[in-house]
Amino acid sequence: MKAKHETITALAPGRWTHGAPPANVRLGNDTVITGDLAFKRFHSREPDALVIGAQCTMDGVHFDLGEKGRMTIGDFCYFTNAVLLCELEVRIGNYVVIGWNTTVADTDFHPLAPAERVADALACSPLGGGRPRPAIPKLPVLIEDDVWIGPNATVLKGVRIGGGAWIEAGSLVTRDVPPRARVLGNPAQIIGTMP
Amino acid sequence: MTADRKLEWDWYSGTVPENVVLDDTAYCETAFSFHFYRSRLPGGVEYGRGASTYLGTMFDVGPRGRVILGECALIHGARIICDAEILIGDYALISWNVVLMDTYRVPLDAPERRRELERIPAREPRLACADVPAKPVRIGRNVWIGFDACVLPGVTIGEGSVVGAKSVVRESVPPFTIVAGNPARVIRPLNAEERSRHA
Ligand SMILES: CC(C)(COP(=O)(O)OP(=O)(O)OC[C@H]1O[C@@H](n2cnc3c(N)ncnc32)[C@H](O)[C@@H]1OP(=O)(O)O)[C@@H](O)C(=O)NCCC(=O)NCCS
Repeated sequence: MKAKHETITALAPGRWTHGAPPANVRLGNDTVITGDLAFKRFHSREPDALVIGAQCTMDGVHFDLGEKGRMTIGDFCYFTNAVLLCELEVRIGNYVVIGWNTTVADTDFHPLAPAERVADALACSPLGGGRPRPAIPKLPVLIEDDVWIGPNATVLKGVRIGGGAWIEAGSLVTRDVPPRARVLGNPAQIIGTMP
Repeated sequence: MTADRKLEWDWYSGTVPENVVLDDTAYCETAFSFHFYRSRLPGGVEYGRGASTYLGTMFDVGPRGRVILGECALIHGARIICDAEILIGDYALISWNVVLMDTYRVPLDAPERRRELERIPAREPRLACADVPAKPVRIGRNVWIGFDACVLPGVTIGEGSVVGAKSVVRESVPPFTIVAGNPARVIRPLNAEERSRHA
C-alpha cells in the first residue's frame, strides 16, 4: 500500500468541470464537481458557504444553497446526481455515499399553518410585489462519517444520521438514525444493524 | 404574452395554445409546459389571477381534459395528467416533481393494455391515450403538496391540508390534515392554534 503522503503530494487542485465555482466555494485537492447545473441555484452569500474536502467526486450534484446556507462535506465522498437543498446548514462527514436523485433538505420551504401558507402563496405569486414571506423553520442536517444513502432517498430537515448508517434506496428519513442502523421505507423504519 | 401567443421570456419557440386562459397577472415560465397539451375544450387550462407555473410543469391534458388553477396557485414543476378534470384551489402550493393524475391512460386488463401499447409507436406524439375511465382530482384551496408526491385518480384533498414530500395519495384527504408516506396515512390534523394563526 502507498503511504498516504505520497498520494497527497500528487493531487491536483479541486475543480468544477464547467468553469470557476462561486468565490465562496472551497474545494480540497483532487475533488471534482461535474455537471452544468451544479451551481445554478447557488445563492449563498456566506463566506466559505460550501467547503468540500479532498478526493471527493460530486457527479451531477446540485448545490442549491439559499442566501444564508452553509454546507461542509468531508473527504472521499461520492455523490451522484444528489440534490442538496440548504437554507441554513448541512454538514456531511467523510466517506459518505449519496445515490442518484436523492434529495437532502434542511427546511420545508413553506410554513405549516394554513393562514401563513396563504400569505406565503401570495408573497411568492406574481401579485406578491415584494411582500415579505412568513418565517419558515430551518433545522440543520448532519450526516456523519461512512453513511451510505441509496438512490431516490429523501432526507428532511433536522435529521442526524449516525456514523456508518445505511439508508436503503427510496427511503424517506424524517427522524434521527442511530449509528450503523439500516433503514428502509417511507417513512423510514429501522430494519437492522450494519455488521 | 405577445399577440401570437408567445411568452416574451421563453427559451422555447412554441406558443401557448389558443384555448389556454392566461391573464396578465398570471405567469407561465415556458410554453414547453404545453408540449403534450391536446385539450379541445374552451379553457383547457385556466390560470387564476396571480397563478404561476414554473419549468418542469407539464400539462399532459387529453382532448376532453380541463385543468383550473386558482388564484395565486403556485406550481413549481408538476406533471399534470388529465383526461377529465383537475381543479387546483386558490393559494395551493405544488412542489417540484409532483404528479397529479386523473387517469392511468392504459387499460388495467393486460391483454387490452398490450393492444394499447402496440398502437403507441404509430402516434405522434407517442402517448398512451386509451379510452379508460378518468376520475377527477380536486386539490382544495390552500393545500400544500410536497416534492416528489403523487396524487392518484379520484382523490380530493380538502382545504388547507398538507401532503408530505414523496407521499403517494390514493384516498381522499379531509380538510386541515397532514398526510404523508407511501401509501399516505394521516399524520395528524392541523390543530386549532395552527388553524387560527395569522401571518
Ligand atoms: C409534511 C411535512 C411538512 C410535515 O412536517 P412536520 O410537521 O415538521 O413533521 P415531523 O417531521 O414532525 O413528522 C411528523 C410525523 O410525520 C412523519 N412524516 C413527516 N413527513 C413525512 C413524509 N414526507 N413522508 C412520510 N412520513 C412523514 C414523520 O415520520 C413523523 O412520524 P413519527 O412521529 O411517527 O416519527 C414535512 O415532513 C414534509 O414532507 N416536508 C417537505 C415539504 C416540501 O416538500 N417542501 C418542498 C417545497 S413546496
